[in-house]
Amino acid sequence: MWESLSLLLGIWLLFLLIAIYYLSQSSDSSVGRWRDSVSEHLSAESRARALLREMLTEAQYQQLIKFGYLEVNSPSIEHRIYRIPGAGGLVKVYERGCAIMELCLQPTEPLPDADVVVMHKLMIEANEQEYLQKANHFAPGIISLRCQHL
Amino acid sequence: MGMLRVMSRRGDDRVTWDLQKVEVGDPEALAAIREAERIFHEERARGATAFKVETGKPSQRIEQFDQAAEQIVIVPRVVGG
Repeated sequence: MWESLSLLLGIWLLFLLIAIYYLSQSSDSSVGRWRDSVSEHLSAESRARALLREMLTEAQYQQLIKFGYLEVNSPSIEHRIYRIPGAGGLVKVYERGCAIMELCLQPTEPLPDADVVVMHKLMIEANEQEYLQKANHFAPGIISLRCQHL
Repeated sequence: MGMLRVMSRRGDDRVTWDLQKVEVGDPEALAAIREAERIFHEERARGATAFKVETGKPSQRIEQFDQAAEQIVIVPRVVGG
């Protein structure tokens, strides 16, 4: 029993080593492209996080790290707060602590998550009316409820 | 130093310039600021929005390139999702 298992494990390891050897030899292979793609992705995420860190105060950054969202006060509507998720999703809007709507707005070009947070923050703070015009509005909780049934 | 940052799938692409050197006509600084201005207008034409970001001040949307800005961040065109 143990001999058979050892033999199978040995054969499996041999195949694994042969596969790794061939993949490492093919420089222009899909693995090479995949490796480059992963490297580019990590670099993009790292740059985006650096920009995000620069754009936030220490308190805002801590809020994002601890709670996974960033809250931005409306510059024109008293008692309104926009809650921007740190990892994508809808922006929740609160007035006096009550959720009043959720907003969906996305860049036409895919961006790292950290850049998307900065994008929402800049647009809300400096361009709120256009932000509200362009975003699709949803009643609070509708998307979340729908997703729970999937 | 001024900096133009253009958000993209690669993170952000940056162009920097030294305004003091621009003012004394340094060719490299002039080339950098021309390049930043060219990118600014190209991105704006594609529907991007530009924001002037300065330490301790609220961000401000801008329509024209501002060479005196500490930092300009360009966000690609956005649509309702």
